[in-house]
Amino acid sequence: MVDHAQNRLNPRTIAAIATPSGKGGVGVVRVSGTKALAVGQAVSGRRTFSPRYCHYATFRDASGSPLDEGLVIHFPGPHSYTGEDVVEFQGHGGPAVMQGLLQAALDAGGEMAEPGEFTRRAFLNNRLDLSQAESVAALIEADHRTAARAAIRSLEGEFGHLVNGLADELTQLRVFVEGSLDFPDEDIDWLAEAGMLKRVDVLQGQLEALRRRAATGVRLGQGFQVVLAGRPNAGKSSLLNALSGRESAIVTERAGTTRDILRESVEVAGFPVELVDTAGLRQTEDLVEGEGVRRARDLVAHSDLVLFLVDAGHGWTETDDTEWSQLPEDRRAVVWSKVDRGRPATGQTAVSTVSEPGLEPVIQLLRDRLQEGSAGDALAARQRHLDALDRVHGHVVAARRTLADYGSGDLAAQDLLWAQEALGEITGHMHSDELLGRIFATFCIGK
Amino acid sequence: MTRQEYDLIVVGGGHAGVEAATAGARMGAATLLVTHNLDTIGQMSCNPAVGGLGKSQLVREVDAMDGLMARAADRAAIQVRVLNRRKGPAVRATRVQTDRLEYRRAVQGAVLQQEGLELLQASVERIRIQADRVRGVVLQGEETIDAESVVLTTGTFLAGEVHRGRNQHSAGRAGEAPSLGLAEWLRAQGFHVERLKTGTPPRLDGRSIDWQRLDVQPGEEPLPALSALPPGKRLPQVPCHLTYTVPQSHKVVAGALEESPIYSGAIDSSGPRYCPSIEDKVVRFADRDHHTVFLEPEGLHTPEVYPNGISTSLPRSAQEDLVRTIPGLEEARITRYGYAIEYDFLDPRQLDPTLALGACEGLFLAGQINGTTGYEEAAAQGMLAGINAVLRVQGEGGWYPRRDEAYLGVLVDDLTSRGVDEPYRMFTSRAEHRLILREDNADTRLTPLGWDLGVVSEARWQRSQRVAADLQALIATLEGRWIDPQQVDTAFAQGVLGTPLSKPSRLADLVRRPRVGLAEVVQLFPDAGLEVYDPEVRKRAEIEVKYAGYIERDQAENRRLNAELERPMPEGLDYRQIRGLSNEVVQRLEAARPRTLDQAARIQGVTPAALNLLLVHAKRLAG
Repeated sequence: MVDHAQNRLNPRTIAAIATPSGKGGVGVVRVSGTKALAVGQAVSGRRTFSPRYCHYATFRDASGSPLDEGLVIHFPGPHSYTGEDVVEFQGHGGPAVMQGLLQAALDAGGEMAEPGEFTRRAFLNNRLDLSQAESVAALIEADHRTAARAAIRSLEGEFGHLVNGLADELTQLRVFVEGSLDFPDEDIDWLAEAGMLKRVDVLQGQLEALRRRAATGVRLGQGFQVVLAGRPNAGKSSLLNALSGRESAIVTERAGTTRDILRESVEVAGFPVELVDTAGLRQTEDLVEGEGVRRARDLVAHSDLVLFLVDAGHGWTETDDTEWSQLPEDRRAVVWSKVDRGRPATGQTAVSTVSEPGLEPVIQLLRDRLQEGSAGDALAARQRHLDALDRVHGHVVAARRTLADYGSGDLAAQDLLWAQEALGEITGHMHSDELLGRIFATFCIGK
Repeated sequence: MTRQEYDLIVVGGGHAGVEAATAGARMGAATLLVTHNLDTIGQMSCNPAVGGLGKSQLVREVDAMDGLMARAADRAAIQVRVLNRRKGPAVRATRVQTDRLEYRRAVQGAVLQQEGLELLQASVERIRIQADRVRGVVLQGEETIDAESVVLTTGTFLAGEVHRGRNQHSAGRAGEAPSLGLAEWLRAQGFHVERLKTGTPPRLDGRSIDWQRLDVQPGEEPLPALSALPPGKRLPQVPCHLTYTVPQSHKVVAGALEESPIYSGAIDSSGPRYCPSIEDKVVRFADRDHHTVFLEPEGLHTPEVYPNGISTSLPRSAQEDLVRTIPGLEEARITRYGYAIEYDFLDPRQLDPTLALGACEGLFLAGQINGTTGYEEAAAQGMLAGINAVLRVQGEGGWYPRRDEAYLGVLVDDLTSRGVDEPYRMFTSRAEHRLILREDNADTRLTPLGWDLGVVSEARWQRSQRVAADLQALIATLEGRWIDPQQVDTAFAQGVLGTPLSKPSRLADLVRRPRVGLAEVVQLFPDAGLEVYDPEVRKRAEIEVKYAGYIERDQAENRRLNAELERPMPEGLDYRQIRGLSNEVVQRLEAARPRTLDQAARIQGVTPAALNLLLVHAKRLAG
């Protein structure tokens, strides 16, 4: 018998992208657990759901900005994949959208699922029968292998090196902290040591630098977001279609036809790129289009690169001046479109979707800019690494505050322990026995 | 006359044995304590002190369940210090120097007064087993005594071998016979038996020490106590003294190393890293030019002194040379020479957390036989083993505390899931829930559990209930009472709190401020009725309020690790049958045989993915 009370055994509500990343036109974010419905409500804005019925909705992030439009389905437990309350969001499959959707689900109370966790819960809630158990194990094993390979890969290069360095530094701190707490007869009074706060500061600084570089790496893995901007009918949709090789935007000669934000995942010079075609940045009385304009500005603000399209047939206008000036200086580039109809400014990128020079100039531009953006500094990190680093950071900040405000050894020590446990989710956990070993190796302890 | 049949027989009269026997008797079991020598019941074989970091918490936990150790230490205390006073309540620890003789008397007094507990001086040669169940013990001379449960607390006596220089001889302790028959029997049963070692320093005649030249370390006044019960009459207090080794001392040790049983290869078992011999210190920390030596008085009525810090098994002449290099000890006479002792212990991974030896129903082990060191660790295990031995007789399920309930929980979990490779000593850093497991709240953590188990007296139960009620009432007042800045003089408030009182606050919010405590709040609001509470209750309420945020986070972290971890693992699980587990993980699991997923999670090298597999497998077997 299915025991719906099983939900209580799994207090975490978990969320994950359920479809392979970067593939397919539709992506699914799945949420399972007691808070699934609440997450569904928060992200879709719907209050009520008919069980197992597809509702059309606009998905919004925590600040209320729209992310995507798509379908949301509520599967009340126990009649769901996991046997728990499940909500699924089906959106356009681009990595950036899916990541945004996942983040929205996490912000609304979900937690990142571990590899195989959905399957495991399904099994535990008797949604899979005994004969399926072996395949579950195999699935988890496969998940594990993939995850392990990915983990090994990501911990090999520089990221691994830096994370391990950070773990070492944290261990060193804890050796002093725990040493002075457990061995008060020895001369290791770290609280009296002025250098202690400084060491925590240094650690915090290293952590923040690592976090920034890892975040860039995560973006790299998920794809760059390139926004196509420019006046209405500047050729954005045509360029999008040409680059992605399919008709996903409706292209007409009339200005203002692209009201939705359209996205396409393409690969440029080996980089996963998500092209985003925005509604024209046109001031308009039309309410629907006005909303589109606001969303476009939002997207521009969060993009890695903005391609500003100028219709060669119309030339550079005052409106172009105004709109160009509103784009982020370090992340904008001019692309002259429809060069078959007029003359672009010399030395600037020019393309045509119907004649020479074709698309090659814009591909070259993307290649140059993306390589620049990913140069050297990015680390091969994954989202779960970022989550862990965020928690480590929170604990280190707390340790510093506790030290400065209270000078209290036991509380700061607890913060550092939690920091190390969070870091252990990346590097592997350290048992207290190993820490004691380090203390004995560092200090001559013993009456 | 001893009877022919008991509920419980405890073998051994050390710190584990007396707690096991008295706990059993308190629970109403007909109990017999058998030991080689009734006169040495409660003997402190090593240094004359109780408590210290991690250890005082254990003693308080034993006390919370009505055990002996804290009360005996309070009665015998001749110098008491509270360590880490400024480093926070979770790492605050009481350490009591005792009069060795008084301590033994106090323990013996308690044992003799315990109703339902009988004593017998004899040597136990083996356990009587029928169909894998304990039936009793067989004494030297083949006399048998029947019992439903047996607790073994053999200390260092199990095949004990004393080493000094190139000499070695069989002994359980200096001058006492070892347990050989029992050791042989245990090995013959096929249990996994290994050796550990420990050591002691030479003892000195205090009359030959030049005290004038030494630093004095006085105890604290007013005199702290370990027990939650009133200590009664206290002994006069005497100080400890400090001295230190000098480079010449290290030269003496280095010169005699080839005669050291540890460095000559006569001993190859592990000693405790945190309690190294002076030989180890000199070899491993060659760059240090001195090591502190604590001169601890052995008692009020003896001039003997215990020089803590120079444990050694060097030959006598080298011990004499070493002592003479130490400032203040140039003329000191050695009354007893230091030695190292090797002894048998059973790999504690053969035990379950109730300290039952799985392969032999009704047999429980406690203390050094499980690979631990320390009086406090022994006492705590003794009490737990005694309780479970009796629960078994009563037909009840076993009991043990979780890691977030007691240091005792940390201790048995570490022992039974990870095993030991050196004598196991408790440290506060072993407890991931250290903020909860404090000295000050041992009674609220454990006395109610002890009452339910029937091991706690009504008087202690009532007392702990009163304290708990007061504590709750005071915390409720602090959390419920709001203060408006207009109610107090601004300058006065700022003076007392150190920072301005700018908006309406609960009293608890003020207590949570840095560098503010309950005392300041009482000073600001004398009419809040806070001083009616006992100072101890006020102290505890302050800690609870100040730490509330952290404790909630601790509990949240715990929940994050999720409830599935409590799931028991099926017995006799064949890890090799689980597809996808790496060989390394299989080997580690086979060595540890975790009883719950939680334990498996804490084994080194067991990954989240491996846990998933275990969970799925466990569920499948459970059907």
